[in-house]
Amino acid sequence: MTAQPTRITIDPITRLEGHGKIEIFLNEEGDVANTYFQVPELRGFEQFCVGRQAEDLPVIMNRICGV
Amino acid sequence: MTAKPKLSMYWAASCGGCEIALVNINEKILDVDAAFDFMFCPCLLDTKYKDIEALPDGDILITLFNGAIRTSENEHMARLLRKKSKLLIAFGSCAAEGCIPGLANLTNKRDILKTCYLDNPSIDNPSGETPKPETEMPEGKLCIPEFYGSVKTLAQTVDVDYFIPGCPPEPHQIWAVVETVLNILQTGAPLPPKGAVLGGGKSSVCEECERKKEDKKITGFRRTYEFVPDREQCLLEQGVVCMGIATRDGCGALCPKVNMPCTGCYGPPEGVLDQGAKMVAALGSIIDIGDLKGMKEDAIDKKIDEVISTIPDWAGTFYKYSLPGSIMKGRVA
Repeated sequence: MTAQPTRITIDPITRLEGHGKIEIFLNEEGDVANTYFQVPELRGFEQFCVGRQAEDLPVIMNRICGV
Repeated sequence: MTAKPKLSMYWAASCGGCEIALVNINEKILDVDAAFDFMFCPCLLDTKYKDIEALPDGDILITLFNGAIRTSENEHMARLLRKKSKLLIAFGSCAAEGCIPGLANLTNKRDILKTCYLDNPSIDNPSGETPKPETEMPEGKLCIPEFYGSVKTLAQTVDVDYFIPGCPPEPHQIWAVVETVLNILQTGAPLPPKGAVLGGGKSSVCEECERKKEDKKITGFRRTYEFVPDREQCLLEQGVVCMGIATRDGCGALCPKVNMPCTGCYGPPEGVLDQGAKMVAALGSIIDIGDLKGMKEDAIDKKIDEVISTIPDWAGTFYKYSLPGSIMKGRVA
């Protein structure tokens, strides 16, 4: 009998906007012990919008998500 | 029957608008499906990274790569897809020039992490955690990509065959490129020269803009919230910073058509290296500070300063979409 996997990685999460990854850890019985949802992306809009012209923000912020 | 050539589309540091622009070719997407095995596109299809890693090198005919290179995962995927693809196309402004995510090059990694994770009023983070590539959890190690110090374009990372400009590329331009590719596949016509910009014009947005253009003499700039511009006259002549003069045509002058200035998303015109420098040069030749006769150099400088100080954010205005791909690439001081 092959050993039960202890970790299942779903990478990337698909058919959504953005990047996501899920790691599922299994216990000895093969049940889910814990799951971690991870967002492996950051662009930093919160910071690089500082200093821009107010009227440019609708142009910039709609590039957070184009879906 | 021979297998259909493989087509893939990937997003790095992007918003997903490029994928939606592709889908916005509407029912013609069926022609794309008929001609290609569209096999990888995280926004639309459930293919995993390991499926791409398992492909032989060069197995994908065309990859449309959108998004800038912001993290180690973005770079890894750029290298992987370069290896697996015969033709790698920088699709959209982020991949081609860095685009909006590239404005982050005006700041730095430390300040971005501080603002996003420590000072952010909507985040409860008492232990002051910021993302790091490896985190030990009771069940095992979790790994996320490294957040790089600056944003790069695709071509600053790997070899790129073609560029498709726009934020996002206009669907009719995407379709024109697809038609060109289909023609090449069916007739064996030669490929465009490597490095060519596809899906755009060779001139500037002014070429496509139907506004009346007369003498350009600007005594000061006006911001779009200050007044409603005349719908017939050139926006730049009315003192609005319209980037059309320093931007590649191809979109159909969409923004000036609705009385908003071009913000430059199609990047520099053919043969222009630096969009912001082109715009500054253009403004330099049309700013009118009146009769200079007998004026001292200091007084002339002061007058010019008065005019250009009516544009508060030069970098964000002239390099909104092109900072990482520009000569400066980012903040220099």
